[in-house]
Amino acid sequence: MEIDQLVYAYIANEEEYPDKTVVIEEGSKGDWVYMVLEGQLRVKKKTAKGTVTVYTLKEGDIVGEMLLLEPGKGVRSASVIADGPVRLGVLDTAHLLRDYDTVSPQLKGLIRSLIQRLEETTDKVCDLAAEATG
Amino acid sequence: MVANGKGKMPPIVSLKYKRGELIIKEGDYGISIYKIVKGKVRIFNESGGGEIPLATLARGEIIGEMTFLNRGEEPRTASARAIEDSELEVWHPSTLKKEYEEMPPVIKYIVNQALQRLVRMNQLVTQFAAKRQQSMEKAKQREPGTAQRFYYRKELDQECIYRPVNSPKTVRLGGRVKDISLNGVGLEVRSKNALNFSHEAGDTFHVTMMLPTNKKLTFKAKIQSVKLDRTLGRILMGLQFEEMDGENRKTLGFFMRS
Repeated sequence: MEIDQLVYAYIANEEEYPDKTVVIEEGSKGDWVYMVLEGQLRVKKKTAKGTVTVYTLKEGDIVGEMLLLEPGKGVRSASVIADGPVRLGVLDTAHLLRDYDTVSPQLKGLIRSLIQRLEETTDKVCDLAAEATG
Repeated sequence: MVANGKGKMPPIVSLKYKRGELIIKEGDYGISIYKIVKGKVRIFNESGGGEIPLATLARGEIIGEMTFLNRGEEPRTASARAIEDSELEVWHPSTLKKEYEEMPPVIKYIVNQALQRLVRMNQLVTQFAAKRQQSMEKAKQREPGTAQRFYYRKELDQECIYRPVNSPKTVRLGGRVKDISLNGVGLEVRSKNALNFSHEAGDTFHVTMMLPTNKKLTFKAKIQSVKLDRTLGRILMGLQFEEMDGENRKTLGFFMRS
């Protein structure tokens, strides 16, 4: 896909991890945006009733979109764990933020709102999932 | 607000909605974006004649960004209703649309993924809520009156003290907890308790009781159902837990499993 190529140009670095590596830990600080180049990862969140797998990331998927919400203040909202060996692309944050700066304030407002709602709804799903199984 | 200095932004239109009025209907087509200037708005899905709340939004928050970012190709994925008298700013999407098209592709790529994930998460919330509603319905058929407490219950007969949440701290009413589940309790009290304080569905009480394991349990619970036993002069109420801290929840969990 064309878009993938365009995103590929932003990859500053590649990282490889073996199975079960905790690539991102919930609650830790970090601003890196990753793109999955090879393999799968599980996104997990803590709830009052235990940890819930929210979704599985596959090739082409992005982790760390929260960067666009509050650049520089990133606290990871979920853990990301390798499910088998994985290869990740680390996007060039500075380049990404420079590009984001060209977006108009109104459109930024929309994007912020979307990402915020994604966070809130994901939390809600985790609580409901924990309740349903627990 | 002028987005980037060039071009004319259409004038911003303000709309007023009375409490209870529908702003967006699920399934409709439309790409307007609303920003809440005043009031509160509930976002919900419709399911089996009921409303499943997804979010409550207040001043400064935006409604309709999903459909817009989906380029208006999909119908509205949720409804929006004013739950207070509200004032909304309507953004005309045509200018924004052009800006969106010109956005750096990498940002678009990230936004698109967030959008797909949000669609999926909203579906999951609705599914979970529908499932829960189903099991409630089933419980209602099995044992009417205790539908709110469809979890496994344990019968017991323990003394407790309680007081309505709005009463002075010195108020101490007595009663007996007749059954308990992870979801609530069955509480039996003398009818005269209701002379000075309301004991009706929707009322909330602070309750303190001892479990048969001699562990103290404190919680806040809301009345779901009330049954009067005139011959014995007693009231039987089904209460659902409203608030219980982690320690008490643990105590109850251990007791329910014992």
